[in-house]
Amino acid sequence: MLMMSIGQFDVKPAKAGFVAKCSEALRRGLSRPPSSSATHPTLSTNHNLEENPVKIVVCMKETPSTTVEKSFGPDMRIERRKEDAVINPFDEYTIEEGLRQQEKHAGSEVIALCMGPATATDNIRRALAMGADRGVLVTDPALAGSDAIGTARVLAAALKQIGFDLALFGSAAADAYGGVVPSAVAEFLGMPLLSFAGKLDIDGSTARIERQAEVGYQVAEASMPALVSVVKSINEPRYPSMKGIMQAKKKPIDTLTLANLGLDADTVGAAGAREEALSAEKVTAQRKGEIYMGNEGAADRIVAFLVEQKVL
Amino acid sequence: MDFTLNDEQRMIRDMCREFAEEEIKPKAEELDRTAAFPYEIIQKMAKLGLLGLPFPEEYGGAGADFLTYCVALEEIGRGDASVGITMEAHTSLGATPFALFGSEEQKREYLTPLAQGEQLWSFGLTEPNAGSDSAGTETHAELEDGYWRINGAKSFITNAGTDMTGGVTITAVTGKQPDGHKEITNLIVPKGTPGYIIGAAYHKMGWRASDTRPLSFEDCHVPDENRLGERGDGFRQFMTILNMGRIAISALNVGLAQACFDESLKYSRERRQFGKPIKSFQAIQFKLADMATEIELSRLMYYKAAWLHMQGQPFTKEASMAKLFSSETAKRCADQAVQIHGGYGFMDEYPVSRFWRNVKVHEIGEGTSEVQRMLIAKNL
Ligand SMILES: Cc1cc2nc3c(=O)[nH]c(=O)nc-3n(C[C@H](O)[C@H](O)[C@H](O)COP(=O)(O)OP(=O)(O)OC[C@H]3O[C@@H](n4cnc5c(N)ncnc54)[C@H](O)[C@@H]3O)c2cc1C
Repeated sequence: MLMMSIGQFDVKPAKAGFVAKCSEALRRGLSRPPSSSATHPTLSTNHNLEENPVKIVVCMKETPSTTVEKSFGPDMRIERRKEDAVINPFDEYTIEEGLRQQEKHAGSEVIALCMGPATATDNIRRALAMGADRGVLVTDPALAGSDAIGTARVLAAALKQIGFDLALFGSAAADAYGGVVPSAVAEFLGMPLLSFAGKLDIDGSTARIERQAEVGYQVAEASMPALVSVVKSINEPRYPSMKGIMQAKKKPIDTLTLANLGLDADTVGAAGAREEALSAEKVTAQRKGEIYMGNEGAADRIVAFLVEQKVL
Repeated sequence: MDFTLNDEQRMIRDMCREFAEEEIKPKAEELDRTAAFPYEIIQKMAKLGLLGLPFPEEYGGAGADFLTYCVALEEIGRGDASVGITMEAHTSLGATPFALFGSEEQKREYLTPLAQGEQLWSFGLTEPNAGSDSAGTETHAELEDGYWRINGAKSFITNAGTDMTGGVTITAVTGKQPDGHKEITNLIVPKGTPGYIIGAAYHKMGWRASDTRPLSFEDCHVPDENRLGERGDGFRQFMTILNMGRIAISALNVGLAQACFDESLKYSRERRQFGKPIKSFQAIQFKLADMATEIELSRLMYYKAAWLHMQGQPFTKEASMAKLFSSETAKRCADQAVQIHGGYGFMDEYPVSRFWRNVKVHEIGEGTSEVQRMLIAKNL
């Protein structure tokens, strides 16, 4: 059973100058927000953003490609094959956001951090090819079987060791869909998490996000160092360019073990896992169809169905 | 003997495969139907550095090796042959002559924007009366007061008339050699040069989204500094360019053949007849097995030809063998792909009918299958 005491999707309570500004910006509809300076006249107006280098760590997980057949091992976990490992699709947005912030804030550094098997360097290279400056791989045989909290413990220790202004996460991983790692890392570090960011701005030492809700969006901000998890609407990830790929091999990837991080093997991996997979079953796709016959209001019912499905 | 691609080659292949899947394939049907040049795709490719793969970084290229370029081309061609030939003609025929034979100034002025993908370039060899017999070139140029006066015509020139095109490099007869043969020199003709007339695009049965034009030259003047390499070196230059180009075209053939196979495998799993997927019939399985085998063989042939070239060893025969076999493989694959699709394969709704129309020109462009056999025979 997964035991967690921390809020999964909520903004952490005020810490380190954290402010949640929600009500004012919550409005109906999907209209674009006015510029942040107009909305928040009291906030610091550091217009000289280029002079504001930020140390950004983008956290990326290796997940099995979404297009391959999946199977479960005897431990009820997805079997992972090296050939099928890709960057968690959610984390492509994480990396992209790190790179975009770097482009806006000259002199910034983007570090790709991954906990995974030794072969994950291939996917870290892809992040480097997209433009990240260097990579850090945390790998250790004792890490196998880590649950979300174990993973968060390791990432928190690695983040602490690397040091950062901003740590970026995807909102979930495509293999497990737990979505708890960012908040658990925030808990371990005692730092604010701005979750589910659809937009991110760095203004001086403040990180500000917009979080899209059904009826509008919330603006939340925190002073850095802070953690941010991003959603897919935040950007359009780039393809690695040819030059990026050619340069990637020259960029360093450091490897850290549990010993390097000063973590005990029994607090992580299968040994430290509080979560246990009891059973695993494949989803069987079910085709659900309803047939409406003509002349009995079929057209209206189809329209109603499409509206309900948000197609119209 | 090591057949594994290195890290960069794999990453570039995967990236091109992804790009083809996401950016090219969804647009291929419309581009073909409307015969519209794929500006948006080409510009995205330019930004990613896909139009200057095998050129040195100092001239705006990606600094990749020749095999990497071919592997990338295979994946792009797998997405769409029109986009593939645009990339191939630009890189192998348009830009490579500058990289191999250009002066330092020509490399800076012409190669750099081409490698960066800011411009496309074309190569004009074929003429109304000089196709397979390229020595039959009639376009001629005379040097007068430091200017070449060009008169003549070219046919079927790829990339000559797009909005992104910078110009064309042409073969022209500039005199007679001591042995009586024509002296051929390659001349650089920028778009917009007075007397250089770019004709209307041909209507084609395949490669419809690529740009193919007839060109004519009527007292067209270019300065002598627009001469590529030495006077009289033109024949040797285009032989080298075509030999290398054949390897690249082979990669494109493999991409098209692979696309035929991909669609066939998918369809044969989905289509049910006699209560079973048609893939369960041995007749269909054998077609798929033959396709997969010939594709594998074709791929190995272009890998080897590219490798020979990169080792600095002779590769003319192997390049022709690869071009011949891979284009005929692609033809057989396209034919079987339509067959596997049955009546649906004959309809525009399925991509295989487009593959079938596209594949024909693969046996014609950059040397027909007959010419490849002649070249192979000559080198036996
Ligand atoms: C879409 C397209 C794009 C092209 N792009 C370019 C380009 O960018 N630049 C460029 O310079 N050219 C280009 N070409 C021209 C192409 O290279 C020629 O079409 C090709 O070389 C054949 O020449 P041809 O069409 O004159 O045919 P011919 O040479 O007239 O051939 C007709 C037939 O006779 C056969 N034949 C000819 N001679 C012999 C022989 N001695 N023995 C046996 N059989 C023979 C041929 O194999 C063929 O089957 C392009 C062509 C097409 C269709």
